[in-house]
Amino acid sequence: MIEIKGLSKHYRNNRAVDDITFTAEPGHVTGFLGPNGAGKSSTLRILLGLDAATSGQALIGGKRYRDLRHPLRTVGALLDGAGPVPERRAIDHLSWIAQSNRISRGRVREVLDLVGLGEAARRRVKKYSLGMKQRLGIAAALLGEPEVLILDEPVNGLDPDGIRWVRTFLRDYAAAGRTVLLSSHLMTEMAGTADAVVIINRGRVVSQGSLAEVTAGHATLETAFFALTGDRIGPRW
Amino acid sequence: MSAPAPTRKPRPVAAVRFGDILAAERIKIITLPAAWFAMAVASGAGTLLGIIAATDAVRIAGPGGPIPVARLGTLLLAPAYAFVSIAVFAAGSEYRGGQLRVSLAAAPDRNRLFAAKLTVSATLSLVASIPAVLPGYVLQHSAAVHAWERGAFVGFLALIAAYLLLSLIGHGFAVIAKSAITPLAVLFIAPFLISPALRSILPQVVRFLPHEAALSLLKLPVDPATALGPRAGLLVLAAWAAASVAAAWTVFVRAES
Ligand SMILES: Nc1ncnc2c1ncn2[C@@H]1O[C@H](COP(=O)(O)OP(=O)(O)OP(=O)(O)O)[C@@H](O)[C@H]1O
Ligand SMILES: [Mg+2]
Repeated sequence: MIEIKGLSKHYRNNRAVDDITFTAEPGHVTGFLGPNGAGKSSTLRILLGLDAATSGQALIGGKRYRDLRHPLRTVGALLDGAGPVPERRAIDHLSWIAQSNRISRGRVREVLDLVGLGEAARRRVKKYSLGMKQRLGIAAALLGEPEVLILDEPVNGLDPDGIRWVRTFLRDYAAAGRTVLLSSHLMTEMAGTADAVVIINRGRVVSQGSLAEVTAGHATLETAFFALTGDRIGPRW
Repeated sequence: MSAPAPTRKPRPVAAVRFGDILAAERIKIITLPAAWFAMAVASGAGTLLGIIAATDAVRIAGPGGPIPVARLGTLLLAPAYAFVSIAVFAAGSEYRGGQLRVSLAAAPDRNRLFAAKLTVSATLSLVASIPAVLPGYVLQHSAAVHAWERGAFVGFLALIAAYLLLSLIGHGFAVIAKSAITPLAVLFIAPFLISPALRSILPQVVRFLPHEAALSLLKLPVDPATALGPRAGLLVLAAWAAASVAAAWTVFVRAES
């Protein structure tokens, strides 16, 4: 279970995350939605212990990430701005990650095959397409067969087949009693994957609940999203 | 992508140890093509300079007539800067492609991660410095080496120490600069551009710079009149390495990703 309690992150005079509270329960895919700059990635970085919160708490199974005894076996994460050195081969990238948490070499092969990169495992990552890099990131998140998955825009750059695979995979993953938290901009995609939703705007939660609760009174999740965030977005297109 | 794997029972969990992080850091360095390239350049250039210095085939024009290559400390130490890039890439590559965030997710304790990377970077640099330095050194000092002279052995150790300490300076610098390019540029440019310009104005300062201290340690000072002795050179170089690593450690532990 993921618990975010009164979390804030202020950069100089920008309240990127402003007193956010929500939970992501086991057995559910929780969608974390918000327009660009809403504070999604900032929240997830704090959850992973990469950045310090200004105030509040972000806990996984009741613990701070840095206090986990087996970080990668507990949490698998795909984060914005986190990835392999481009000159490295994909298999080497996964190998050092696996080694750091005592995960077997056999598992490296398994996850590469799982995301469809078995053939390309020995190619340097700089020769990968956008979608292939994304698949590699997902493979890295799955290495430790974690109880909790935290994915920041996992379908970014994926082809329709890849998107469908991620959707099915995450639903099955949660159905097995595990916790999945994912952020995305793609409303139709989110509506097809998540069963709980948290919508944030300018660092604050504007709506949360089951998919049905958040969408109630609106035609789709997308219209609900615009109704909740639209008129308050800073820059106008 | 294939169908999702059926849910399995969790595998027995073995605790993550410091040794696991060391092993991971080792894989990171040896799977970095740039590190191997740096090693090849350093040992190739070292060997070539050893041959040239031994045969005295080339002399460089100096103010007081031609100087044998064997007396040109800055030139003889040039391969060390290719070598230093192994440690610089080890530390600086964390800031390429956002690897640092992956590293921290795998090893969230920043002190532990820094210690592991530094240990591996220093150990591999020390081990690699022997094959990088030995051929050139033996070629250049073949007579002394064959006679098993004590001086030849001490000179070899001094060279290894210079390579290691310069590598540590580079490692720390890369963490502070959050890049591999800046430290390499500065470390390489300083001896060739900054020191010569400052030497006439501030000789008392220049002799304490890392490159000049390393040359003192190797008994190859550019300006023997103002240079430190070999022992003082070693101490000054070690102080630079300690300062660089300590500053890097402080910065690394406090930084946000
Ligand atoms: N390191 C930083 N320093 C200063 N401001 C930052 C930093 N990181 C993020 N911000 C600011 O915090 C706010 C939230 O950014 P964040 O990346 O969390 O948004 P997001 O919801 O993930 O957006 P997107 O959908 O575009 O990925 C933005 O205003 C951003 O400019
Ligand atoms: Mg983001």
